[in-house]
Amino acid sequence: MGEGDRAEPLERLLNLVGLLLETPRPLTFEQIRQVLEPYGQANPDSAKRMFERDKDVLREYGVPLELVDVDVWGTEQGYVIPKEKYYLPEIEFEPGELVALLVAAQSGGQDEAAESGARKLLYGADGGVLAGLGGGPLASGSDARSNLVHAVAEATQALRRISFTYRTSQGKTADRDVDAWAMVFRAGHWYLVGHDRERDDVRAFRLSRIAGEVTDTGEGSAPPTDFRAADHVDAGPWVASGDDRAVILFSPDRAWFAASQFPGATDVGVDGNGRVVMEIPMADEEAFAAMLLEYGPDAIVRSPASLRDTVIARLEALLV
Amino acid sequence: MLAIVPYLVQHPGSALDEVATAFGVAPGQLRRDLDLLFMSGLPPYGPGDLIDVDVDEDGHIWISMADHFSRPLQLTRIEALAVYLRGTELLALPGMPDAPALAKALEKLQRSLGADALREAEGRIEIARRGRAPEHLDLLRAAARGHERLSIDYFAASTGEWSHREIDPEEVFSGMGHWYVAAWDVDADAERLFRADRVRSAAPTGETFVPRGLRGAGRDLYSPTGEDVSVRLRLRPAARWIAEYYATTELEERDDGGVEVTLPARQLGWVARLLVRVGDDAEVVEPAELRHEVRRLARETLVGYGHKT
Repeated sequence: MGEGDRAEPLERLLNLVGLLLETPRPLTFEQIRQVLEPYGQANPDSAKRMFERDKDVLREYGVPLELVDVDVWGTEQGYVIPKEKYYLPEIEFEPGELVALLVAAQSGGQDEAAESGARKLLYGADGGVLAGLGGGPLASGSDARSNLVHAVAEATQALRRISFTYRTSQGKTADRDVDAWAMVFRAGHWYLVGHDRERDDVRAFRLSRIAGEVTDTGEGSAPPTDFRAADHVDAGPWVASGDDRAVILFSPDRAWFAASQFPGATDVGVDGNGRVVMEIPMADEEAFAAMLLEYGPDAIVRSPASLRDTVIARLEALLV
Repeated sequence: MLAIVPYLVQHPGSALDEVATAFGVAPGQLRRDLDLLFMSGLPPYGPGDLIDVDVDEDGHIWISMADHFSRPLQLTRIEALAVYLRGTELLALPGMPDAPALAKALEKLQRSLGADALREAEGRIEIARRGRAPEHLDLLRAAARGHERLSIDYFAASTGEWSHREIDPEEVFSGMGHWYVAAWDVDADAERLFRADRVRSAAPTGETFVPRGLRGAGRDLYSPTGEDVSVRLRLRPAARWIAEYYATTELEERDDGGVEVTLPARQLGWVARLLVRVGDDAEVVEPAELRHEVRRLARETLVGYGHKT
């Protein structure tokens, strides 16, 4: 908590917090100087500087240190920490819920804010909770920097307008100007969904493709009432779904894996060559053909004919 | 300290080591901080006004005269958001243990801190699509907890082969949307990382093992070996996702918006299949044998469609 000799500031800060929490009326700096020795001893200027620094440290830590009028005439101002703003409200967590929160805060790589936040929630925990924290972190977390994730989350919470430099999956870099509406987490990635001002349309942006920081450029807009953020996050090239159904023959070795890779795949039997026949829903024929090609000779399209033709054409193109 | 003291006040006799671990400070540092706490209190700071701290011989902590610190400081907006975001990340994992408890905790957090910190997390912070949990996830986790050796049938995507192995699973964790098992492969006598969704069957052998301290979450998902081949690919913009999806050792931007990357690969088989998938959006720089392998695979697949070679 501060520089240099860490010992002394901690004691001073704890005393300052206690004093301003318990004081029945706001205290002027002069009054604080009379009570708290470290501020009293130094010369007035350096004492004031020390006090200003301490105030900044405490505010950064989240202490609601306020400067208010001492009396109704407003002739003098004093410092106070309002109890109702300082103390965490009572939250009744079950022990299992607290453990789950703490594990979450510790998972996914370094995130100082999540960890310090979770620690503040620990105070009322059952004694057994600390012992229950034995396991390691559960997840490696997303691929975006945690301070960027926080900044974008704040923008969506307050419906702000933000600008940033974005690299598309096609590798083009451009500046974007977006009304931040929501965040979506999908398969290890965080996405921002919002109104892209230049394109005048709803777009999703993967946070790990934002270069540098985001800039707050003012008030944004509210999403339409029927807005559902998750609908706007691109499913990516490796996810198949949709209304059309394709019939694919898989070699027995790969069939189990294919069934786990394609959501909605149903096993409809075995053909004369011992291959597993599967019905799979698909939306985008091109994307689906590409996924099947990765199976090589272990996946053969039976129908529809158009999908079969697409696959064959792509294979022939490789041999030219 | 503003977070630790409230815990100590509420839990007289807490063990110093346990508290230090939970709050992420070194035990020595905590002891020094407690010594300072002893010097603080409320005005007029007479002997009777100071916080009383006692650490007994067994390392148990007793605190009194600290009523003003009996409840912790409010979470900052960023802290509340950060906890909420992390919780949401975990909830997104299919097969996440204790998911109902975590969901409830997040809901309570949001309700209590709602007005300021988490204004409208509802509908603003979402999970897209929760996939299916790997079939044997629970069993893998139980084995890792109980140090039980497992016998598994495993599909290696790199070779396209099934194998039967005995493994000592130590850590089960998730990364980039998949569950992984960090384990000791008994037959190979080496550490291996397994994708939980590629385990077709798993059963305890009845033996137990002594953990070697293998690393779980946070590790690189690809561990290089001495036998790796360096595959160099020129990717057009449409195939750029390969550079994001697979571990690369080198990456160079190109003028056309594409990249040239080097991927370490233990086997060429999976790279060749990947290249059949992306077609002319990728070009093999080296090794030359990979080019032949891609053509061979394309020809073999065409045979499946009745084409003559």
